[in-house]
Amino acid sequence: MRILLVEDEPTLRAQLRAGLVDAGYAVDVADNGRDAHFLGATEAFDAVVLDLGLPVLDGLTVLKRWRDGGRTMPVLILTARDNWHDKVAGIDAGADDYLTKPFHMEELLARVRALIRRASGLASAVLQCGALALDTRSGRVTLAGQPVSLTSHEYKVLDYLMHRPGAVVSRTELTEHIYAQDFERDSNTIEVFVGRLRRKLPPELIETVRGLGYRLVPPP
Amino acid sequence: MSLWRRATSLRFRLLAATLVALVLALLLAGVLLSGLFRDHVMRQFEAALTQQLDQVTARLEFDAAGQPLIDPQALSDPRWQKPYSGLYWQLDRTTADGLSRAGVLRSRSLWDTSLPLLADELADGAVHVHQGKGPLDAPLLILERKVKIAEQPDARWRIVVAADLQEVTGAVDSFNGVMAASLAVLLVLLVLAALAQVAVGLSPLRTMQRALADVHEGRTQRLQGRFPTEVQPLIDDFNDVLDRNTEVVARARTQAGNLAHALKTPLSVLDQAAAGTLAAQGSELARLVKEQVGLSRRHIDWHLARARVAATQRLPGQRTALGPVLAGLVRVMERVHAARGVAITVQAADVPLFFAGEEQDLQEMLGNLLDNACKWAGSTVTVHAEAVMGSKPPQMQIHIQDDGPGINAAHLALVGARGLRLDESVPGTGLGLAIVQDLVGLYGGELTLQPAGGGGLRATLRLPAATAFGASAGVRA
Repeated sequence: MRILLVEDEPTLRAQLRAGLVDAGYAVDVADNGRDAHFLGATEAFDAVVLDLGLPVLDGLTVLKRWRDGGRTMPVLILTARDNWHDKVAGIDAGADDYLTKPFHMEELLARVRALIRRASGLASAVLQCGALALDTRSGRVTLAGQPVSLTSHEYKVLDYLMHRPGAVVSRTELTEHIYAQDFERDSNTIEVFVGRLRRKLPPELIETVRGLGYRLVPPP
Repeated sequence: MSLWRRATSLRFRLLAATLVALVLALLLAGVLLSGLFRDHVMRQFEAALTQQLDQVTARLEFDAAGQPLIDPQALSDPRWQKPYSGLYWQLDRTTADGLSRAGVLRSRSLWDTSLPLLADELADGAVHVHQGKGPLDAPLLILERKVKIAEQPDARWRIVVAADLQEVTGAVDSFNGVMAASLAVLLVLLVLAALAQVAVGLSPLRTMQRALADVHEGRTQRLQGRFPTEVQPLIDDFNDVLDRNTEVVARARTQAGNLAHALKTPLSVLDQAAAGTLAAQGSELARLVKEQVGLSRRHIDWHLARARVAATQRLPGQRTALGPVLAGLVRVMERVHAARGVAITVQAADVPLFFAGEEQDLQEMLGNLLDNACKWAGSTVTVHAEAVMGSKPPQMQIHIQDDGPGINAAHLALVGARGLRLDESVPGTGLGLAIVQDLVGLYGGELTLQPAGGGGLRATLRLPAATAFGASAGVRA
């Protein structure tokens, strides 16, 4: 899952980024409204964490421009202004949730998880596919109740596939959503991760749709 | 309106002053005119009588014995013949030793009376005018002339003619009557004109009163309309004051917001850093920082909220439509609490309701209550707004009810105490209800929390309402 983090205060940005990376997200950052708008309008993100007080272009304007441009990714706004007027303005500009500063990292992660899940139309925090279960809160994967040990990249691929049950996901799409922008991208590595996952999980679970990509197939 | 306020009203003053001036002027005019007329009539009367005196003087003859003789037939006026007709003549004789005898000859109209002897000395040929009483006590104008004839050098003859003044007084009285009536009609017309003038002259003040009432009722933010040059500067100044007040409040708000922003981002940084260290090393310092950051945050929230409440004077002219504010907050709640699947139902009142106050304050009160209800609700939150019937000044009531676990009676009393949180597991500062109560108090409203029928909590907010447009606003006259 790939997240855009927009925050102008460098220390807070670094902390939030570290927290999000630790939680298993690929994180792109922007420190001003113009860059944020450009990234959000051109790259595929699963969620955006957007501070409202931004230099160059303020957060609300960035958000409105994304929505006007047809970008529908979930957006969590961070605001220091703890009043309902700003919250209403934020939601009406197209935000999906807000968080008032200061906040706890766990709270931010919980909100982001919930937003991504909601955007995929999933209700439970534990994603299921047959005997396979992925707990988005703890990052634990179990197969028939037995824990499965995954590397961070393997987890990212599985996490993304499990948020799109039954859908065909191309290699490019997978690449876009598990790597941040500045990462050296190589779609061949995706094949490597999928191959490793097939060895750790029931091999028929991830189906290759020739020429299109991969699909998570629940056992009959 | 009390008598004193009536007495200090401009309308009353203008009308009273005009009325007094009019009455005085008309009285003076009446007295003057009446006097002039009387003088004129008297002069005419006197002139006529002088002619009569001349006639009588011309008819005075003396016979061979030196006795005076006036031929009544020679005097043309028939009134000389008719007894007590009101026109009389008489001839007095004064001898050289100063003795006088009245009525040597008299007109037939004097019958058996005579005109009183007048005690003044006249030069020869001079004419004197007197007023006195005649027969039947009638008031008389009396003219006399002294004549001396060559044949009787020692004797002086005084010819007296008199006419009844009732003719004059009658004419003057009837003139006065007609004049008083005309002056009264004039007074009535002038008073009507003054009333019209005052009404027209003071109409801008009435317009201003209505404009002020509009501002008080919150129908407009400023005084609307064009006023005469004498009043316009006052209107402009007043509008400036209104604008400045609004601006000051807005600025105070923005500054409070800026302060919050300036403080809260560093606090976030501290909090994240401490949390990271705490997780990695379990350091005591990190725990302390985290604890103090939490405390600081609540202090900031509390004092900022208080500062905002303090900045909110109850400015006149504020009205906020309840519907859009509620709709905006419901959009927020539906989005934010989407994961919990809370359904929010809003039962609007039959007529659009308006809060007599500032939009952000209404948002703050309703937002906190709605957020609370959504946090605790099982599946539904119901919002019901209504006007409070027969309340003066007008009020409205908003009920927010959830179907959550509710609060037991013992805790109900504690809710809203500063920063108290009954359940630390639900995020929030615990300041929400305290802020609501501050704001409600500021607007003279009332917040009541009570157990709802279905086991949840029912919060009822009673707030001042502004009247709707077009409704009779009760302009204070």
